[in-house]
Amino acid sequence: MATMQDARVEAPRARRRRRQDLPPSGGKPRGTHPLWFLIPAFTVLGIFFFVPTIYNFVYAFTNWSSFKSEISFVGFDNFQGLLANGTLLSSLKITLIYAILVAVFQNVFGLLLALLLEKDTRLNRAARVMFFIPVIMSALAVGYIFQALLKTDGPLNQVIGFFAGGDVSIAWLGSTTWTIVVVAVIHAWKWMGLSMLIYLSGLKTINEDVLEAARLDGAGVWTTFWKIRFPLLAPALTFNVATALLGSMNGFDIVQATTGGGPARTTEILNIFIFRTFGQGLFAQATTMSLVLFVVVAALAFPVIGMLRRRENVL
Amino acid sequence: MKRLLMTTATLAAAGLLVAGCSDPGAGGGTADTGDITWPEATASLEGVELTLWAAQASNTIPEGVVAAFEDATGAKVEIVTIPDPYENGIQTKVATGDKPDLAFWQPTASMLTALNAANNLQVLDDAPWIEDMDPDLQDLTGILNDTRYAALVTSPSVQGVYYNKKVFADAGITELPTSFEDMVAKGRVIQETTGVTPFFEQGNNGWSTQWWPQVLLADAAADGFYDDLNANKASFADDVVVEAITTFKDLIDEGLFNSDIVTATFEDQGDALLSGEAAMAVQINALFGQFQAKADTATLNETIGYFPISPSGNVATSHPDQSNALVAFKTGDAAREAAARQFLTFWMTEYYPTFVEEQNTVSLMTGVESPASVPQALLDVHASLSDSVGSMQAQAVANPDLFMNVVDVINNVKTPQQAAEATQQQFVELAKASGIDGF
Repeated sequence: MATMQDARVEAPRARRRRRQDLPPSGGKPRGTHPLWFLIPAFTVLGIFFFVPTIYNFVYAFTNWSSFKSEISFVGFDNFQGLLANGTLLSSLKITLIYAILVAVFQNVFGLLLALLLEKDTRLNRAARVMFFIPVIMSALAVGYIFQALLKTDGPLNQVIGFFAGGDVSIAWLGSTTWTIVVVAVIHAWKWMGLSMLIYLSGLKTINEDVLEAARLDGAGVWTTFWKIRFPLLAPALTFNVATALLGSMNGFDIVQATTGGGPARTTEILNIFIFRTFGQGLFAQATTMSLVLFVVVAALAFPVIGMLRRRENVL
Repeated sequence: MKRLLMTTATLAAAGLLVAGCSDPGAGGGTADTGDITWPEATASLEGVELTLWAAQASNTIPEGVVAAFEDATGAKVEIVTIPDPYENGIQTKVATGDKPDLAFWQPTASMLTALNAANNLQVLDDAPWIEDMDPDLQDLTGILNDTRYAALVTSPSVQGVYYNKKVFADAGITELPTSFEDMVAKGRVIQETTGVTPFFEQGNNGWSTQWWPQVLLADAAADGFYDDLNANKASFADDVVVEAITTFKDLIDEGLFNSDIVTATFEDQGDALLSGEAAMAVQINALFGQFQAKADTATLNETIGYFPISPSGNVATSHPDQSNALVAFKTGDAAREAAARQFLTFWMTEYYPTFVEEQNTVSLMTGVESPASVPQALLDVHASLSDSVGSMQAQAVANPDLFMNVVDVINNVKTPQQAAEATQQQFVELAKASGIDGF
């Protein structure tokens, strides 16, 4: 217990130290580098991030298309057209379902792996590397590999058939209800290594003394996990849920490679719809959709991250 | 104050952007008609490099002609395969200002509009080979607003029925179907007598599912349905279209199609028909290409036949596709533009006899005989062109994704009515974007 008290005492001391780094006047921090050093970074940021984003807003209000050269302003026409057309809303719904599924699967898989591979044994280290490899693989490659594995006459069905003793022809990617779940699992599989890593680092930061105290108080493994370890993982959970949810809302590659949005557009997440619309030459409409996606992601990101951050207040 | 400055700066930046708002794909072209010359087919082109975009389905077609052209002129021609979906890929690239010298392209008016032909494509009005073409084909396609933008190189695709001759014989069918209804009746006979699946369709990516409603629209098309559609006086949501989709769906529900229709692929379709696992498929020439990749002419003549079909008879639906024609782009480089025209001239004159020979395909030129080894079914397909009606792609001013909606119907996600309405909605959207009068 003594060390815990030390830790509590340590924190204000550190804060004081940081405060001492500031100039005594309390004004601007003493510059170690001139501000214009930032110009190259901001130029790159401006050209590759701000300008495209602003263009995204501008073009959404025009009639830019592949059919003619002139571009003129049309006000909210594109928005009205898209709202009247049910496809945008159904794509948004699919995107949200997909994002939630991915967030759940990726975090469950990642957390289970982290708990399983927590001890620093040689085998566990090797296993961690193995599970991290999909993260650095090309998403398209992952998609195409799974597409081949999940074919009706593909390896997965053959393996199931071998054990079940008989021909199995499950259309994994042909169900209008379940394929979105299958694709979400693939997406989660690809990124679970990253979640595992974040959870592992979260688990490592939990003070051994707290766990020891819990053990002394008679808490079992299950209670320790739910009452102590999981709440203390809050920052890791925030990061993992936010990145999984928002990353999959912007997803494209894995779905495009596995189903291309099919069957019957039941896995057509918004980015695939945007890609298709852009490909038809309806550039302004596609831009409008990506603006809608931007707004939806932002509208979702703030409350979700805010909520998760509030959980961290217990720390 | 600081915030005010920020706001002003942002507004100013946005204003500048709006002012600079222009189509990156526009411009860069040379002067229009008038000073267009057509160089000799084999004139020297030492040091000229051309790029030719092709789809996965068409990238082998120009291999022979490219090699011969390079030998004859000293030019370099690079064939670049653009992944599927080909048309989408090209439209996107062209929109961002990325243009090849030549590309395979569906030569229909709607697809030429989609490329903004007047701005991006070279005018081929005075191409020297046109007058030597079969008169039926000269003005069949490739023309938008009375200007020729595309060069037809192979016999245009036709929607019709490919059938397995052995299955027909086994079922005791000696006469070919004379109408759509007759075809369905014969399909039922085949199922009852031999147990063979009467019709095979592929719903995996499903692009060919639209041929069924389209051949069912052939009579309406002949009566000017598409003219009315283009004038916004008829609609894809009209009864005639809804009924066509419903008929197709009813036949599926009746069990006349392969049971794996939802997941079957184009390759599966070819295999099923060749092996006699299925009796018939409504398809375009691409399916025959699939057959040719798997069997020789003798086998094909023995097993595969073709007949056109329409509700009231045997009218084919012509459907020129991207593998049938090429367009030449305005790149802004006069030498390369002339070289691209020369390449087309070389292909259609000097090299054409070799071309039809090596591709084993029907000749479009009056002076060039089709090789004797061209399978009979292909000759039948070509013959059915003369009294054909144009497909949706060939006649409608815009090209909606009818097939996607039909696939939705096959998957029971949409009703035929909803599929027809969705198609119309998209058609209007595209027509409006194209600036067509009446939309």
